[in-house]
Amino acid sequence: MLANISFDKLPFLLLLPLVLLPLISHRRDALSYSWTQLLPQDPVGKYVEWLWRLLALLTLLSIIVGLAGPGRSETHIERIGKGAEISIVMDRSSSMDAFIHRNGANPGKLTSKQDYVAVRKQMSKNDVLREALGWLLTKRPNNRYALTLFNSAAMRVTQFTDDISIVQAALDASDIGRGPSKTNMGRGLLAAIEAFEGRSYSGSRVIMLVSDGGAKLDAKIREAISEGLKRNNISLYFIYIESSPNSPNLELVGTEVDSTLEEVALHKFFSGLDVEYQVFQAADPESLTKAIQRIDEQQNLPLTYLERIPRTDYSQWFLISAMILCGLLVLLSMTQRVNWQ
Amino acid sequence: MSQAQEFFYKLPGTPGGNRPGAHRSRSVGSGMSFASHRKLIDQPDPRRLDLRASLRDVRRDWLVKVYRQNSSVTIQAIVDVSASMHFGGTRSKLKVVEDFINALGYSAFRHGDAVGLLAFDDKARDDIYMPPRTNRGAGITMAETLAENTQVATARKGSLSGLSDCASQLGAASSLVFLISDFHMPLNSLSAVIREFGGSTIVPIVVWDPSETRPPDKNGWLSVRDAESGRRRQLWLRDSTRKQWLANVSRRRSELTEAFTDQDIQPFFMEGEFNPEQLTQYFMEMVS
Repeated sequence: MLANISFDKLPFLLLLPLVLLPLISHRRDALSYSWTQLLPQDPVGKYVEWLWRLLALLTLLSIIVGLAGPGRSETHIERIGKGAEISIVMDRSSSMDAFIHRNGANPGKLTSKQDYVAVRKQMSKNDVLREALGWLLTKRPNNRYALTLFNSAAMRVTQFTDDISIVQAALDASDIGRGPSKTNMGRGLLAAIEAFEGRSYSGSRVIMLVSDGGAKLDAKIREAISEGLKRNNISLYFIYIESSPNSPNLELVGTEVDSTLEEVALHKFFSGLDVEYQVFQAADPESLTKAIQRIDEQQNLPLTYLERIPRTDYSQWFLISAMILCGLLVLLSMTQRVNWQ
Repeated sequence: MSQAQEFFYKLPGTPGGNRPGAHRSRSVGSGMSFASHRKLIDQPDPRRLDLRASLRDVRRDWLVKVYRQNSSVTIQAIVDVSASMHFGGTRSKLKVVEDFINALGYSAFRHGDAVGLLAFDDKARDDIYMPPRTNRGAGITMAETLAENTQVATARKGSLSGLSDCASQLGAASSLVFLISDFHMPLNSLSAVIREFGGSTIVPIVVWDPSETRPPDKNGWLSVRDAESGRRRQLWLRDSTRKQWLANVSRRRSELTEAFTDQDIQPFFMEGEFNPEQLTQYFMEMVS
């Protein structure tokens, strides 16, 4: 611990020999007396004088050390956790504010008032998703998470961090308001890929793309995504939230699904990439949670990462103690006789 | 410099020399105390012719009365000018000594005696010196010499060997010697030094300052440096230390008194100021 102590202004430590000043006994404030043999021997007086010297020494020491600006230097602690670097790329467009429907029931067709109330109690896709991701966070606190929201543009909300409270707070913040109607998935993905750029490879990397629909990606963006994922060795998980009973089942794509749909086109593009890709179909809160559980099971490799601990400055404590010591010195000096009258 | 105060002094025995003065002496001359008869041939002074004694005389000579003459003495003041004498709460002890020297000069002049000044610290101080003089301003000259040469406080110790240096400079003629010091020094060789002064009457004047002898009233931390040795002493003033302080002072006082009484000398204590009446009383008690 002590080895990590560093000083901001090291030259001030050159003043350190000054702390010995109080030990030199040539005090100018001593009263001259004709013959000290007349005076009584007083041990208490000696203690008081040594107390004064000690206080003066400590005061000088605190001031000098305080001026030199001591602090625990910035360190990186290597931590080994299990899991992955997970970049959550979350669709925050207006469609995500819609209710997730259960068992094919259509919330738009209300038959009675009770049904309406029941529907109101239902959660939006966003809420469900947030809950499921929150569960993932608490389950795997050792992972490092980054959160990127996207609608018409990408928002990198948090950088990679192992402090899940930050990610949780970012997730909570995404609850506020309604998103715009446009969805630009390509930018969201590129922003997420960019977050991995330049980082040392310390564990498996995952982009968790959460969306309720597909997107058309033009050739340029497709190429950038394909290259970025490959270069950074990122696995891609696509959690597809079914919006309606008519949504295609991507897990079965390739056999009987119409390939002109946006979602299918996207799925086909992802499958064709040279990286690990998996799709999870989630139709309701339970299946969404299940999908995330499946991801949790898969990405459980050891993860090595460095945690940065910022520099802590201790100089204020030294200066405060110097102030207190000065006060004590003044109190002690006030008891001292300065003349014979 | 204040107006010189006069004190009276008498000396035991017949200390006087040849010069007429105020003290009894063995010199024959015009005086009041009868010494003997002499033949008129030897002492041709018909005014003192003693008819009765001449008639009674077996050899039928004319006899003349012879008297002892009152004579003057030589006084020496030997002042300790060591560092401790510079100490003083309101006035330094040397200032009090100047008062005394001034009064001594005036009193000596009034008695018709010569007075001289010597000084010492760890050895005799040549710069502070005045040979015995009988003039009216002797006291003022001595006090000024002393003041001029002690303006800067020294760190020199006073010692009995310095005093002994001064003793060796004195002629045999001095009859009254004032030793003016605080006697803050070891007294081992005191008897030997006193012996060097021969038959002179010695009056030790112990000059102390009230700040030395009486501790400050307020409690608190007192950090003290010895003026001569530079040694330090730390005190936390309280009732017990104050009591101890006073006890130390009175023990020193009795030590000094005892050391001088062993030599048949009474010390005269002077604290804070010079009181001529007390000194007069001292001499009256000494002679009577």
